[in-house]
Amino acid sequence: MEAKPPPAAADEASTAVPDGRSSTIPSGENTVWVDVSLLLDAACRDLEDGELIHGDNFNLFAAMSALEIMDPKMDSGMVCKYYSVDEAIENGAAPVPISSDKTVDVRCTIDIMDHLLACEATWHKGHSVSQTVFSCIYLLRTDRTSSHVLLHSYCRIIRATCKAVISVVSDARTHEEEDLFTMSYGLPLSGDGDDKCLSVLNAVEETICRQLRACKAPSSRRKVLEDIEPLQTNLALEEGYCKALLCRLRFRKHFYHVLTCLRRPQGRGLELARKHIASCISELECILSSSEFLRTSASGACEDGLEDKTTASGCQPVGFDANLNSRLSAPTPPRAIQILSWNEAVKYFMRLLHDLDVLCSYSLDSSLESVLHFVVQFQKSQPDLVARAHLQLLLVQDGKLHGRDPVFAVITRAAALPEATRNHDIQKNEFIVQLGQLVINLLKILCTNSAWQRRKLGKIIQDWRVIYLQLEMAFKECGENSNVSNEENSIVKIFQHILVWVEEQTYWIASRFLILGFELELYSPNEYCMVYWYLYVALVKLAEKTHLKMAVTNGAGKRRGKKKRDTPKDVAKDYRIPPAVLFLQCQICLAEGLTMMLAALRNEHGILETRSPFNTEYERFIQHFELLQKASIPDHVSYPSFKESTTYARFSNILMYNYFKDAQRIVKEVKSSFSNEPDKLAELRRLEQVAEHNSIALNVISRVGTLDPSLKVSFEFNHHPYFATAVVKRS
Amino acid sequence: MEGRTEKPLKEAPKSESVNRVRKLVHRRMFVGIKDGRFFLGNFHCMDKKGNIILQDSIEYRSTRRSSPSPMEQRCLGLILIPFSCRSSCNVDCSIEEPLAPLVL
Repeated sequence: MEAKPPPAAADEASTAVPDGRSSTIPSGENTVWVDVSLLLDAACRDLEDGELIHGDNFNLFAAMSALEIMDPKMDSGMVCKYYSVDEAIENGAAPVPISSDKTVDVRCTIDIMDHLLACEATWHKGHSVSQTVFSCIYLLRTDRTSSHVLLHSYCRIIRATCKAVISVVSDARTHEEEDLFTMSYGLPLSGDGDDKCLSVLNAVEETICRQLRACKAPSSRRKVLEDIEPLQTNLALEEGYCKALLCRLRFRKHFYHVLTCLRRPQGRGLELARKHIASCISELECILSSSEFLRTSASGACEDGLEDKTTASGCQPVGFDANLNSRLSAPTPPRAIQILSWNEAVKYFMRLLHDLDVLCSYSLDSSLESVLHFVVQFQKSQPDLVARAHLQLLLVQDGKLHGRDPVFAVITRAAALPEATRNHDIQKNEFIVQLGQLVINLLKILCTNSAWQRRKLGKIIQDWRVIYLQLEMAFKECGENSNVSNEENSIVKIFQHILVWVEEQTYWIASRFLILGFELELYSPNEYCMVYWYLYVALVKLAEKTHLKMAVTNGAGKRRGKKKRDTPKDVAKDYRIPPAVLFLQCQICLAEGLTMMLAALRNEHGILETRSPFNTEYERFIQHFELLQKASIPDHVSYPSFKESTTYARFSNILMYNYFKDAQRIVKEVKSSFSNEPDKLAELRRLEQVAEHNSIALNVISRVGTLDPSLKVSFEFNHHPYFATAVVKRS
Repeated sequence: MEGRTEKPLKEAPKSESVNRVRKLVHRRMFVGIKDGRFFLGNFHCMDKKGNIILQDSIEYRSTRRSSPSPMEQRCLGLILIPFSCRSSCNVDCSIEEPLAPLVL
């Protein structure tokens, strides 16, 4: 029984592995593979239900995380149709030429181009490049296509474009949550001579142009042009195919130009980029209109379900297999990727081009305030990753604003300090240097997607608070040591300005943090009351600091101005509240009005009460505002102060101090000051609408409410993205 | 009666085959599956259904359908191989080691 296995038996055991592959995967030295299948089968029969065979180190929880082989959602190595790219090619999955029939070949080439566009859009939308664009077998082995100039030139420009896009996104590093995007490990992204891809593309374009001209020429002239070989053999289709190819090639060319122009330092290529964007858009339109011709000329394509097709013709493209690369996409689990339809892909590129166009129209203003305004405005349309990455690279280059303005100069300007201060030695102060870093970081964060942005803003608010305290200490030291010499006096002044500005900026961040919560739908209606209350206190502080900054500036201006001529009109202006502050004032009125209205609804009608079986109101307050509370933004504001200001809210009081009427009044007053700023004017109009509707709702509730207990009040964001409008209904 | 109902809960009187398999825990195991891949790892666990968990496993796969073909390999770590897809199962065994406990 215990006899050692004879050598023959051992051999037999080792060859028990199918196909004799054990020879390629050797067992250890002096060991052999022994087949234990039958033993395992027997043990399975004898095991009790639910019983496991395992060692001492076994942990069920850890075992649950095992990757399940042959589970399509976990096992990226599942052998699908082909074992490898080479095998797929050998089996004719990606033939060159695609067909010996020239007409079919051209038709299939166009399908490949269209499907690649769909893949590219799908990639931009957040899937891995290896399973989208690089599911194209031709792209994985570009050397094979060199005899097929049309396909070859297209593949090369696609590859160069992918490389350029990856470089923009990875340089901007705004893709933390979208990190699949830049993962291109193991893919042939760079090829020899890809720098010449444009000249190759131009040559191909030129040829097709001639073919188009030749086929359009009247038959009398055709003889002269006879030396030009037509694109394909079916003369009736020649013009249509030539046109369809031309717009596709030209789109690629201009799109590549757009990407390179946008990367020029200090926004120098923006103007040219705009021209290429316009060309791209018109070529895209041609591509769209070519679909009718392609659909009719592609015989055999099914008409139904054209909406989901990834090509203009509706045909399935040749030469794609998303599974070949799926093992490259580790560490992500394999996913069945739904490639966007061709129509959606064209729509995506239209939108991207539009976003990039908005970017190019940007004037590279050196004032931080207008930069922030532009970024916030740009983000409103929720642009996708590629556009956001370009925005960030445009804003921050080499640690300077637009690669041009040193951060300290930006800060002095934002803090309303005189121009001469930008060269002051104070910029070497370590806290000032740190502040500069914070400004750069803030700009980068504002270019990320809303969710990431909010999280990051919540974190950096602490840093802004700390730098404020550090600057304040440095300022005090300066003040104590100063012998009122002129030089030191100016340092004190600089600190003073910068401190006010840092506070203002901090409250701006806080308000943006709160507002983004609405965009991300983080607040439930019964939390609106506390959110508006917090927004209200943050905005009050912001308005206060903005006003203070302006007063300090005007004060300084006045002193200097006295030497110049000072008209009585200017003096009168000084005593008025600046329009920027009034603008904030209007938002404050709305936030306060909504807070009080919500509180009164709860207190008097029991509507939108904050009771919840899971957590208390206090816990939710902390969940939403912990980051602000930690940074004491604003000072002395906490849950008790929220309770204090809302517990006694009654409709009778709100009617007396009608916040919404105040907001309407301010809008009327301030409108004329923003006549040159259409964005702000539009915002004012929205605020006015919210104020108007809520004012009416308030009246209705207070008049009808006490008599009719069935009153239903809900809140909607139909006039403004974050100031809600009350909707009153009787059930 | 009482003794009999308690029996399955106790460790000792197990079937011979279960005891033998238990001795295989931590040994290098080489499992082939139906799509032609192989997995080499340390035997970690098996349930009544015959599903096997391997630790520190490596996947081997051919780059071509036709054999012989070059093999490709990658590390996978902890994997579960369902019984339904298992086509072969071997353990590493020293030449000097008695073979009998391993075969039925």
